[in-house]
Amino acid sequence: MLILKTLARSGPLHGFEIAESIRKTTEDILQVEEGSLYPALQRMLIKAWIVGEWGKTEENRRARYYRLTPEGHQQLARELARYGRVAGAIARILQTA
Amino acid sequence: MFARLRHFLDRNREAADLREEMRLHVELRARQLEQHGISAEEARSMAQRQFGNASMVEDHSREAWGFGSWERLGQDVRLAARSLRKTPGFTAIAVLTLGLGLGMNTAVFTVVDAVMLRALPYPEPGRLVSLWEEVKREKPDDMSSHGSQLGSAGRSGRTTVSQANLVDYRNRTKSFSRLAAFSLTPKNLTGVGTPERIAGETVDWPFFSVLGVAPVPGRDFLPEDDRFGADPVVIVTHEFWLRHLGADPQALAQSLNLDGSTYRIIGVLPPAFRSPTQLTIPDEIAFYVPSAASPKLLASHGDHEVNVVGRLRPGVTLQAAQNDLKLVSSALARQYPGSNRNVSAAIAPLADDLVSGVRQSLWVLLGATALIVLITCVNVANLLLVRATARRHETSVRFALGASRLRIARQFLAESLLLALAGCAAGILLGRLLMKVLLALAPKTIPLIATVTMDWRVFAVAAAIATLTGVAFGLAPAWQAAQTKASEALKTAARNTGGRSQVRWRAVLTATEVALSLVLLVGAGLLLKSFVLLMGVDLGFQPERVLAMNVNLPKLRYPTPESRLMFYQQLEERVRALPGVQSVAYANRMPLRGGWGGDVETDLAPESGPDVDLQAVSPGYFETLGIPLMRGRGFTPADRNGAPPVAVVNQTFARQCFPNTDPLGHRVRHGTGAPWMTVVGVVNDIRRSGKDGQIRPQVYLSAAQTGYPVALADFAVRTASDPRQLVKGVQAQVWSLDKDQPVTAVHTFEEIVTAAAAERRFQTTLLATFATVALGLAVIGLFGVLSYSVSQRTGELGIRLALGARPRAILGLVLRQAGGLIGTGVALGLAAALALTRYLQSLLFGIQRTDWTAYAAAVGLLAAISMLAALVPARRGSKLDPMAALREE
Repeated sequence: MLILKTLARSGPLHGFEIAESIRKTTEDILQVEEGSLYPALQRMLIKAWIVGEWGKTEENRRARYYRLTPEGHQQLARELARYGRVAGAIARILQTA
Repeated sequence: MFARLRHFLDRNREAADLREEMRLHVELRARQLEQHGISAEEARSMAQRQFGNASMVEDHSREAWGFGSWERLGQDVRLAARSLRKTPGFTAIAVLTLGLGLGMNTAVFTVVDAVMLRALPYPEPGRLVSLWEEVKREKPDDMSSHGSQLGSAGRSGRTTVSQANLVDYRNRTKSFSRLAAFSLTPKNLTGVGTPERIAGETVDWPFFSVLGVAPVPGRDFLPEDDRFGADPVVIVTHEFWLRHLGADPQALAQSLNLDGSTYRIIGVLPPAFRSPTQLTIPDEIAFYVPSAASPKLLASHGDHEVNVVGRLRPGVTLQAAQNDLKLVSSALARQYPGSNRNVSAAIAPLADDLVSGVRQSLWVLLGATALIVLITCVNVANLLLVRATARRHETSVRFALGASRLRIARQFLAESLLLALAGCAAGILLGRLLMKVLLALAPKTIPLIATVTMDWRVFAVAAAIATLTGVAFGLAPAWQAAQTKASEALKTAARNTGGRSQVRWRAVLTATEVALSLVLLVGAGLLLKSFVLLMGVDLGFQPERVLAMNVNLPKLRYPTPESRLMFYQQLEERVRALPGVQSVAYANRMPLRGGWGGDVETDLAPESGPDVDLQAVSPGYFETLGIPLMRGRGFTPADRNGAPPVAVVNQTFARQCFPNTDPLGHRVRHGTGAPWMTVVGVVNDIRRSGKDGQIRPQVYLSAAQTGYPVALADFAVRTASDPRQLVKGVQAQVWSLDKDQPVTAVHTFEEIVTAAAAERRFQTTLLATFATVALGLAVIGLFGVLSYSVSQRTGELGIRLALGARPRAILGLVLRQAGGLIGTGVALGLAAALALTRYLQSLLFGIQRTDWTAYAAAVGLLAAISMLAALVPARRGSKLDPMAALREE
């Protein structure tokens, strides 16, 4: 969800940029092993939520830029909705406590 | 899915891409850290740490695509192939054994497939039925039956159908869209080259539409063609058209001369058309003519002459049609009590009816080859176990290095499947070869045997069996390997002995093999004994040096019985003058060549005549066939028309009809209207239908007293030396009397007797061969297990010898082990054989399936040969040099 959201917000990014973006936005709270990003990206490629295209970085290095497909947008919407429901439910439990 | 496939094909490039991506990631991170003032080296290692295990990430990414298992399978297969190549001896033996088993199975299955499983070569064959009539024990008075019977001919109480009844079956039932009679009627073809007797069929006009075929050039029969007295027309086969008419497109305007009549050709059948008759006999049927039954025949309900095929209306079940017929049969029985009392019509699916005679024996043969496949499986499993034991070290090292149990088991399974696959290929190759041998040996009387070919179904079944066997014989070793405990195996690896459970497994497998081959040996023993008993049966006459042939005189040229008799009398005179001829005979039929039967009345019991075999024979008949005269006299030339009618009977008839009285001088007659004949002689019983036939009461008529309803057709010559040498001479005499008269079915009686036993000989030969192969495989298995066991126990045996055990004791030790295996196997096998020979019962002759001699012989043979196989390793064990054996330790 995080990856999808990041891509939705910033357009095409390569792997490092996605990781950096997530790190910066969450202000270092959510830090995972950065490597695990890549299997996740591969899975999303299979599900056709994202596509990857090779391009050049500002320093003229070859890098794969990922962007969302229409299916990816839909999936993001679904996941956000589900997250909203779960978060709402948790919030209600916490409030009643 | 498409994305996945593309990914799989490009997987190397994709992997490189991924690596590049990850490298970039780490570098960028390091650069970022450096900018925060960290040394370059420190920054890189921090970046690496943050990233995690790159190759694991790579693996996970790749597995996300779901091709990991496929790749591992590829690895397993490659590894399996490599390890099989390393042991060519083992591989060759395993593949050959499997190939032998699967090859036999494939060959027999091919025949079974063609004969029993494939659909009949007609459209919608499921709706085709064959119809016959059944006669209850008590026979109606007015009935005679002759003509060929289809499929399970000769089944008691079953007979061909009466044309008169067929009309009622056709008109009074609603279950059939069509019913058509057909019967084999060979005719003499003249006017095209040498005179030839060719086989054809008389059929009712809807015959071809019942079967669902239509002549391609020309037209089908019409109801008008099938009327008594209509212009004769004929439909010929495509093959006849090619060969005899030169594929002439104008053939439809031509005529054929058959039995002296002119038949206009109205149609040519499509290529490869086969009448249902041809599915059971090898003869080519060349032409079809309408039955055009006479009003007399259509009024004669007791005349059972024709085979009937029918097509059920769509949606009508067999049972419904049968019920429908039952009503008609009982109505007919009320209407014509004289001829139809106790007669009822019965139907069966045409496909089942055709093969009913050979079904049992083919299933038995298929079952036998299934047992062979099982034995080869057990054998290969045994080999694989030995091999697995030898590879224990390798396995445990792989365990120690972290291979999963599943992975090891899979590796072993991959090897067995690869073996199975190779075995399957060898099996199909060998199967093709064996099939040719099989077909060469097979009697031509097996239905559809001419259509046997290997097709994709056979290959599919072979492949399925191979895979199944691969898994079956691979499971035990795979299970064993997966059970290996790394530490324990490494400890014992140096000595390489199999664990206790492995030894037990091999013992179980070997005993199973012994048991399975015992089953086959018992089966073969029973069939062999049946065959020997059958061959020992006395026919009652001397078939040696007798030549028989068919000289079938066409009714048009020889319209009266007297004209036919005259032809035969002239022929007899001329042939008797040939050098080398001892005696000459003619009759309506010779023994084993069909015949005539009916009810005979005697002056003692004029009302209840027994059903007997009847035969019209010449004076020389008894002498030519070597049938001893027991009392009175045989026929003489004086027993001709005008002289008092006489008959000769066999001993069984004399016993049955004239108990406690002298039959000579008593009178008999065939049918109420026939003249009374005085019995003048009694001859020895003969088995007219062959060695496995019953001895029936027989009455012989003098051929020269022409009151009988059948035509003289068979001619026989007893010769001083090889009867084959006379064929040309006799033929020339026939042609000197009538240049248009064909001579057919020329065989020596020895050939006829042999051919009559051909099917049984075929079964027996095959089962005996299978049993021999099974025995061989079992012996190889036993030998392997014992040899291995001795080589494993070298140390132990060495110590025993060193401590003073005598070689004899060692010999006994190994032989006892073998005895245990054989004993268990024999016990299991006897139980299985007792259960399974039930399916053999109907193929046996003269013995019960529990005949103890066959069992004893099988056990004796098996025990003797396997003990011999055990002796070799046992002797090797006892001849060990204790010093050398211990040093080897």
